[in-house]
Amino acid sequence: MTTKTQRPVAIVGGVRIPFCRSNSSYAAISNMKMLSTVLRGMVDKYDLQGEQLGEVNAGAVITHSSDWNLAREAILNTTLSPATPGMTMQQACGTSLQAAMVSAAKIATGQIDSAIAAGTDTVSDVPIVFGKKFSKRLVSLGKARDVKSKLSVFKGFGPKELTPVPPSVNEPRTLLSMGQHCELMAQEWEITRHAQDELAMNSHHNAAAAYQRGFYDDLLVPCEGVVRDNNLRADTNMEVLSGLRTVYEKGEKGTLSAGNSTPLTDGSAGVLLASEEWAKERGLPILAYITESATAAVDFVAGAGLLMAPTVAVHDMLKRANLTLQDFDLYEIHEAFAAQVLCTLKAWEDDDYCRTQLGADGALGSIDRSKMNINGSSLAVGHPFAATGARITATLAKMLEERGSGRGLISVCTAGGMGVSAILER
Amino acid sequence: MTKVLPDQHYDHWRVDYDSSEIMWLFLDRQGETTNSLSEAVLMELDAIITVAEGLEPKGLVIQSAKEASFIVGADIREFDQFDSAEQVSEKIRQGHAVLARLENLPCHTVAAIHGYCLGGGLELALACDYIVALNVPETRVGFPEVKLGIFPGLGGTTRITERVGGMAGLEMMLTGRMLRMGPARKIGVVDELVGENGSLRWAARRAVLKRRKKRKASVTASMTNRQPARAALAKVMHKKTAEKANPDHYPAPFEMIDLWNEHRDNRVKMFEGEATRVGELMVSPTARNLRRVFFLSERMKGLGKAEDFKVRRVHVVGAGVMGGDIAAWCVLQGMEVTLQDREAKYIEPALKRAKSLFKKRLKKKPAVTAALARLIPDVEGDGVPRADVIIEAIYENADAKRELYASIEPRMADHAVLATNTSALPLEDLARDLQQPARLIGLHFFNPVAKMPLVEVVHGEQTDSSWITKGGAFCSQINRFPLPTKSSPGFLVNRVLAPYLMEAITMRLEGIDQEIIDAAAIRFGMPMGPIELADVVGLDVCMNVAKTLAKGDVTAQRELLESMIADNKLGKKTGEGFYTWEKGKADRKPAEVDNPYGDQLAKRLMKPFLDECHAVSRDGIVEDDDLLDAGIIFGTGFAPFTGGPMNYTAQLNK
Repeated sequence: MTTKTQRPVAIVGGVRIPFCRSNSSYAAISNMKMLSTVLRGMVDKYDLQGEQLGEVNAGAVITHSSDWNLAREAILNTTLSPATPGMTMQQACGTSLQAAMVSAAKIATGQIDSAIAAGTDTVSDVPIVFGKKFSKRLVSLGKARDVKSKLSVFKGFGPKELTPVPPSVNEPRTLLSMGQHCELMAQEWEITRHAQDELAMNSHHNAAAAYQRGFYDDLLVPCEGVVRDNNLRADTNMEVLSGLRTVYEKGEKGTLSAGNSTPLTDGSAGVLLASEEWAKERGLPILAYITESATAAVDFVAGAGLLMAPTVAVHDMLKRANLTLQDFDLYEIHEAFAAQVLCTLKAWEDDDYCRTQLGADGALGSIDRSKMNINGSSLAVGHPFAATGARITATLAKMLEERGSGRGLISVCTAGGMGVSAILER
Repeated sequence: MTKVLPDQHYDHWRVDYDSSEIMWLFLDRQGETTNSLSEAVLMELDAIITVAEGLEPKGLVIQSAKEASFIVGADIREFDQFDSAEQVSEKIRQGHAVLARLENLPCHTVAAIHGYCLGGGLELALACDYIVALNVPETRVGFPEVKLGIFPGLGGTTRITERVGGMAGLEMMLTGRMLRMGPARKIGVVDELVGENGSLRWAARRAVLKRRKKRKASVTASMTNRQPARAALAKVMHKKTAEKANPDHYPAPFEMIDLWNEHRDNRVKMFEGEATRVGELMVSPTARNLRRVFFLSERMKGLGKAEDFKVRRVHVVGAGVMGGDIAAWCVLQGMEVTLQDREAKYIEPALKRAKSLFKKRLKKKPAVTAALARLIPDVEGDGVPRADVIIEAIYENADAKRELYASIEPRMADHAVLATNTSALPLEDLARDLQQPARLIGLHFFNPVAKMPLVEVVHGEQTDSSWITKGGAFCSQINRFPLPTKSSPGFLVNRVLAPYLMEAITMRLEGIDQEIIDAAAIRFGMPMGPIELADVVGLDVCMNVAKTLAKGDVTAQRELLESMIADNKLGKKTGEGFYTWEKGKADRKPAEVDNPYGDQLAKRLMKPFLDECHAVSRDGIVEDDDLLDAGIIFGTGFAPFTGGPMNYTAQLNK
C-alpha cells in the first residue's frame, strides 16, 4: 500500500446573502432559494459558469422533507456544471463549518480539487407536520386496499390529532431551550449581565464599522432587495441593552436578554475551497488555508454545559497543531449568546476546568480580546444556524488576506453539546 | 419500424426526436442573442411542420435555446422593407398559413416558455395546444404591438380573444402590458406554471404524454366575445382608449377594437382583417415613426451597455426634490443610497416621498422594508468613500458646489463617478478646482424623476470620455436612457423648452385662454400643454429659465412671472400658478381646438420649439439628429408618432 501526502487546502473566498431576522424580509422565501442565491453569487464572483466542482457540501438545520436533496437541487438552480455532485449534511450550528472540514479533507487527500461548503436556514419557512398518531394513520391509509380497511384506519380518531406540530429547536433530551441551557452556564460561570451586554455592544459596533469601511462589500450578494444584515444596530449602547428584559430566566438571577442572545435568523452562506493548483489555474485568489480542524462533544445530559464543547475541540486541535491558545492573530468565537463566549473564555482561563475537563496541564490562558470578533459576529449580524460556519470561515479568510499573513482560530458551539473548531492560516 | 428524424439542417432551429416520440424544437436564431420571429424563422418552421406531418410524433414541443428568453416578438427590422400595405398583408397571410398548419397538427403541441414571450412569440405559442411557463419574475407575456402603431397580426388578436375572452384579451393588447405569470395564468394566457426549482422540459413532456388540454375561457369571459356584450364593450374600450390616445395620431388600437367588434363571430374574417388592417397600419407614417422611436430607445439603452461598471452604491448630496427623488429612484432599482443634507430634518421629507414611491411600486411589505433599509440618511457624508456614483444636487451656486466637491473628492473611490445635477451652471466652471477636473460629469434628471425616462449625461470641455461612458452605464442600470450632451446653457431639453414656454406666456399675455393654448399643444401631440407644464416645473424655475435661456425681449413675460411669484403662486407646489391645483390636478376646463384655429395656434406654439431644435442641431449639442429626436421625445414627451422634431420637420418639408 502506498500513502499519499496531503495537499494544502486553499480558501478562495466566500459569499453570503445578508442575514435577516426571521419573519422579516425573507419570510416568503425558502432554504432552497437562499442557498441557490448564494451559489449563484459564488458562480458570478469567481466565474464558475459551467464549472464542474468536486462537490457542493451544504445543509440546513430546519428543513422541509421535500428538501431531502437540498445541496444537489440547489446546484441545478445555478450555472455550475450539472455534473457537480451535491451532498446534503447537517451538524446543527456547526453544519457549514463541518461541511468545509469534510470537503477540505477530500481536497487534502486529492479526492477532489474544489468544493463549495455552504449552509442555509430559515425559521420563517418551517415544516409543520401532523402529530405521530395522525401521520401513522395516513401511512396506513396509503397501504389500505379496500373500503373496509380504509375506514378502519380511522378507528378511534379524535380531532386533537390534527393539531399541527411545528419543529422545535429545544434540546430533545432536556427539553430546555438553548437559551435556558446557556443561562445555566452563565449562572455556573458567574457571567454578569453587564459583561454580556458589553460583548453584544462591541459586536454591533465592530460589525457596523466593518460595513462602514466596506469590509463586507464583496462578501455579500443582495437577496430580495436586502443589501445588509437587518439585525445590525449600529447605534446600540449599554443603556439600550441593559434595559432589555431577560428572556430565559425571568427572576432576579436572569442575565440573558434578546440583546445579548442571537435572534432567530434567516440566511445562507458559502465558502469556496480548492487545491492550490485548481485556484491558480483559474486565476482565483487564495485568501488563506485551512490547516487544522476538530470536532468534540460533551456529556451535557449528565450535566456538562451544553455549549461548552468548543473548549474541548479547541484544546484537542491546539494539541494536535502544537500551538497554544495565544499563538493566534485573530479569533472568531461564534456568539450564539454573549454568555457562551464568556463562559468559553473563562473556562480556558480556569486551571481546574482545563485539568479535569480538557485533560490539559493547566489553564489554556486568556486571549487578547482586541483580536476577537473584530468585525462583529453572530450577535450583530444574526445566526441562521447552518450558515454561520461558512460565514465565519469566509470572513476570517478575508481578514487574514487583509492582514497579509497570520493565523486565525474558529470556534463554533452547536446543539447537542458539540463544538467545531478550525485554524486558518496565511 | 422505428421512426427516424430526417437528417436536415436548419439555420435557426434545432430539432430533436426522442424515444418517447416527441419532437423537440429549439429556436436558436443564428447570430443573435435573443430570438425574434423573422421571415426565415417562420419558413424553416413551415418546413419542420412538414416533417412533423410525415413523422406523426406523439407530440411537438417548442422551446427557446436562448438562456434569457423565449421569443421577444416579430423581427421589427424587417418591417421597414415594405412599401405597400398589400406586400405586408401577403407576408402576414403566409405567416397565418404556417401557424394554421401548426395549430392543425394532429399531434399534441406544447409551447414551453421562459423569459420574454412577446408579440409574435406569444402568437406562435397561442397556436399550440398547451402553454407551460417557468414561473419566475423574468417570464412575461404580452402584446406590445400598439406601441409600434400596429396590433397583433399573426393571429394574435384572433387567438388571444378566443383563449381569454374579449375583455381580458383586448385589455392586454390595448395596454401592451407585460404580464407576470401569476396574472397570466389567472386570466388563462398560459396553462401551467413550473416553479423555479422545476424543469420546463419535463413539464412539457408530461403535457404531451398526458395530452393536457388548454384552458377554455370561462363562460363570463366568452360572453364578452358575443353580442350584445361585445358591442357595448367595444364602445367603452373606444372611449377609454380615446382618453389616452388621439385616434388621428394613433389609429391602431381603434382599428383593433373595430375588427374584433365587427368580426369576432367569424374566425376567417378575423384573420383576414388582421392581414389587411395591420398591413395598412404597418406602412403608415405613425407606425414608421414609432418604429424609429423604438430603435432610438434601443440605441440609447445600448449607450450604457458597453462599460463594465457595476453600480451598487450611490451617494446623493442635497435632499431637495431632485436629490431626494433621484436617491429614491436609485433605491427602487436595487441600489443602496446614502442621502446627505445639512441636518436630518432636511432629509425627512425625501424619505417620506420615497416611502410612498416604494409602496406604490413594490407593493409587498418585505420589499418596501428592504427598500427603505437601502435608503440611508447620511448627514456626515459617511457614504462617500464607498459610493460608486456621487451625485450633487444642491442649490444652483457655483461656489457652494465647488466647496462641496473639494470636501468630497479626496474621499472618493478612484473608480467612482462624480456628477452634478445642475441644470444651468457650466461644467468647466464647476470643475475648475478639482484635482481631476476630467472626472466631473453632469447627470441631469428631469422632474418627476420616477416618470421621466431621460437623463442628460452632460460633458464639459474638461470631461474625459471614459466618465461619460460610466455615467451612461449608470443610467442604464437605473433604467434610464442616457443622452450624452455637451455642456451649454440649458443643455438640450431645457434649451428647447424655454422659447416654447415663453411663446405660450406671450400668447397668454395676448389674451388667449390658457386652456386653449394647452389644448392646442395636446392636439399637436404633446403630453401636456406648456402653461400646465410651467405650473408643474414651478414658476420660480421658469423665471430662472426666462433669465438664462430666453431670447429677445421677454420683459413682459418676466414681469408676469415676477408678480405671480411675489403672490406665492409658484404653480403645482403651492397649489396655485396659472391654474389652481387640487390633489395634484389642475382645474383645466375643456377647450375646443379641433379646428383650423387650433391648428394655427399649435403651429405658432411649436415653431420656437422646432426652431430651437434646429439651432441645437447646428451647435452639435448632441451627437446627431437621431439622438436629438430621442432626447426630445423622452425628455419632453414630444409627440412620439412624429418620430421626433427633426424627423417631423424633415417630413413636413418633403
